[in-house]
Amino acid sequence: MNNAIADQIKEMLVENLRIPENILTYDSELFGDEIGLDSIDSIEIVAGIDTLFGIDMTGADREHFQSIRALTEYVESKQG
Amino acid sequence: MANKKRCVVTGLGLICGVGDNVKDCWDAVTLGHSGIDEVKSVDTSNCYAHKGAEVDKASSELSPENYDRSSLLCIHAANEAFEDAHIDASEKNIGVILGSCVGGAASIDKYYTDEIKGDGGKKEDIFKMGASAIANNVSAHFGLEGITANIVNACAAGTMSIGYACDLIREGKGDVFIAGGSDSFSSLAFSGFHALHALDENACSPFNHSTGITLGEGSGILVIESYEHAVERGAKIYCEILGSGVSSDAYHITAPRPDGEGQMSAIRRAVESSNLTFNDIDYINAHGTGTAKNDEAEFLSLHTLFDGNDHLSVSSTKSMTGHCLGAAGSIEAVFSVKAIKENLVPPTIGYSDEDLKVLAEKAGNIDFIPNKSHTKDVHYAMSNSFAFGGNNASIIFSDNEHDIPDNSKNEKIYITGISKLTGTKTDENSLNCNLTSEDYDKHGIRVAFYRKLDRFSQLQLLSGMDALADADIKIDKDNEYKTGIVIGTADGPMTEIVDFQKKAITRGTEKGSAFSFPNTVYNAAGGYLSIFSGIKGYNATVANGNQAGLQSICYAADILAEGNESVMLAAGTDENTKTNLELYAKADLLEKPLGEGSVTLVLETEENAKSRNARKYAEIKGYAQAHRPVSYDNSEVDSKAVVEVIEKACLNAGIEADDIDFVCCDDKKIIKTLMPCYDVSQETGNARAATSAMTAAYAAELLSDSEKNYEYGLALSMGAGGTYSAVVLSKA
Repeated sequence: MNNAIADQIKEMLVENLRIPENILTYDSELFGDEIGLDSIDSIEIVAGIDTLFGIDMTGADREHFQSIRALTEYVESKQG
Repeated sequence: MANKKRCVVTGLGLICGVGDNVKDCWDAVTLGHSGIDEVKSVDTSNCYAHKGAEVDKASSELSPENYDRSSLLCIHAANEAFEDAHIDASEKNIGVILGSCVGGAASIDKYYTDEIKGDGGKKEDIFKMGASAIANNVSAHFGLEGITANIVNACAAGTMSIGYACDLIREGKGDVFIAGGSDSFSSLAFSGFHALHALDENACSPFNHSTGITLGEGSGILVIESYEHAVERGAKIYCEILGSGVSSDAYHITAPRPDGEGQMSAIRRAVESSNLTFNDIDYINAHGTGTAKNDEAEFLSLHTLFDGNDHLSVSSTKSMTGHCLGAAGSIEAVFSVKAIKENLVPPTIGYSDEDLKVLAEKAGNIDFIPNKSHTKDVHYAMSNSFAFGGNNASIIFSDNEHDIPDNSKNEKIYITGISKLTGTKTDENSLNCNLTSEDYDKHGIRVAFYRKLDRFSQLQLLSGMDALADADIKIDKDNEYKTGIVIGTADGPMTEIVDFQKKAITRGTEKGSAFSFPNTVYNAAGGYLSIFSGIKGYNATVANGNQAGLQSICYAADILAEGNESVMLAAGTDENTKTNLELYAKADLLEKPLGEGSVTLVLETEENAKSRNARKYAEIKGYAQAHRPVSYDNSEVDSKAVVEVIEKACLNAGIEADDIDFVCCDDKKIIKTLMPCYDVSQETGNARAATSAMTAAYAAELLSDSEKNYEYGLALSMGAGGTYSAVVLSKA
């Protein structure tokens, strides 16, 4: 996993979705009980990834949204 | 049993995308003419949707003042309503209760566009930003001295304002009100609904194939009078306003409950408080926005409650006016009144032949008036409005006298819980609250919930939960619908609004934040509090300058007196961030350091307090409001208004002014007195509505202090635009 990409995504999540930085790891379950993202947040992630990397995640499978690691790997695969 | 005072409609005014007066608008919607076109006032070039229903008039054509467009639309409609009602211009004791969602969003856009361009935002635009200004601007334009309030419950605001004006008439707080709502078109709303993918690419056609809403702008105004007042002056009477209902979903900040429970509760309250049955209703002007979630929930609610009604017609005029947000309920109220008056029901347009076949299969007994209006006898018309924050409102108009039994309680009202969340000094100009994870943990509020909240909502959530805990109240199935919320604020969630707006300006309308948009409505804080606590009763937010904190207590006491709820949370809340501080500095309003906080009081009827053996801090003995219209940027004290509000509050309390032992005020310049006078802003800084609510909290604590031996205390507060609130409290 490309840590530079992961850190950019992390910063975006902290900034745009007010997730406290201290509880957010690369493998935190974003849609799990603790952080609790929902459908509105996923719209924000799509917008954030588009702004950061110019990659459109509209319609991407749920699994790619599960964690910072999953998002990073998706971005890497599209940057190919 | 005695009946309630009758409230009648004696004047109408309207401006929206289909016309700039009632006749043109009514002709258009009954002919099925749409006002929806390509949007002109917002840059939609990179958006997936481009439609809107804008008013075809520049702001300068609406009224000459230098006000925000929302105020100007409202003045235009109010002018028509006053002319229609033939009210004597010398009559000044007229209240102004208005609903708005986006308030001065167009001016916020302008201010920050100027700033980002490097020209610097203009001071004059700062006074146009808040929803607080609207009712005060309208009062100033017409020189009115009745009670003012801006009900800022997003898309339910217009309907709630009309209901509240009737409550005030029935409580004897005034004989004439103008009530309704107003919202201008804004990049804020367009960008926000765009971010949520809630805009339809085409003109919306609710209950049909619609994939989202189409935004509109406008204002609807009703002149509402007590029946006696209208008859005495020989007024033409359009119809009566019967009961209304307000409820909270306690479910989600933007989406309605899929099972329609909250909507049905508001509708049921309106029907029951009107002494009617579901089968009496002839026409419903539905909320009908065109989003799948709204339309499905509303469809379910209508079928569940009205399937036994074999003569019900339902339509959404939003298919022609667009969704005018805080004005929607007021515009649709005017159409409901006209439907009664003309015995003609307007359609929902946009049905193709194919759509009509689908409709025939799902409509059941209900006539959805597709495409073409038709005549029918309309005796009882209902208008429904549902909003972000999970707020639901429903109101009923009637063509004839219809007795409503008076359920109002002449019970004593006690303060049984207090929470005072205020800041400590962080620098010479600022006091701030230090919110920690322990504050949330105490109430079991998880990160997953509170991370979504902007600062304004966080302050209110913590203070509201603290107040419930202090009162030892847990919300459960038995009390969830007997408990309500009224929140007062001067500036609402201005930081979140400004952050959203700045991004929309710099990145483009198409790049709005779906995450923060739900928090930009003033009633989000009340919505989150109801979602977390489970409170499902009345839920209102009032924006009305600093004094809104104390006004919320008057408002909550009115709701308790009306008999719908047993417990009300009344709060004053305002935030202090870098954004607020910058705006206050630029507007030269840093006479005192800027504070922040949320002060919540639990108000409870005597019966309820007794039944659970509640501790009582003090009794709310009487309360009143007064208004002397001044320019919204004028904060001079009008000593005659101060005397008036104190005299009225004492009269309401059944005591003499001499009986009062002490005063708590939010600024010592308001009153010069020899009795003990506590200026609570010494402690809170200028925390605006929080300081205002603090006057009552402080007074209640003094009265409960056995060492002080006080009998009566007065809480006193004033707001920009010339509004004053006073509450007399007595030892419990």
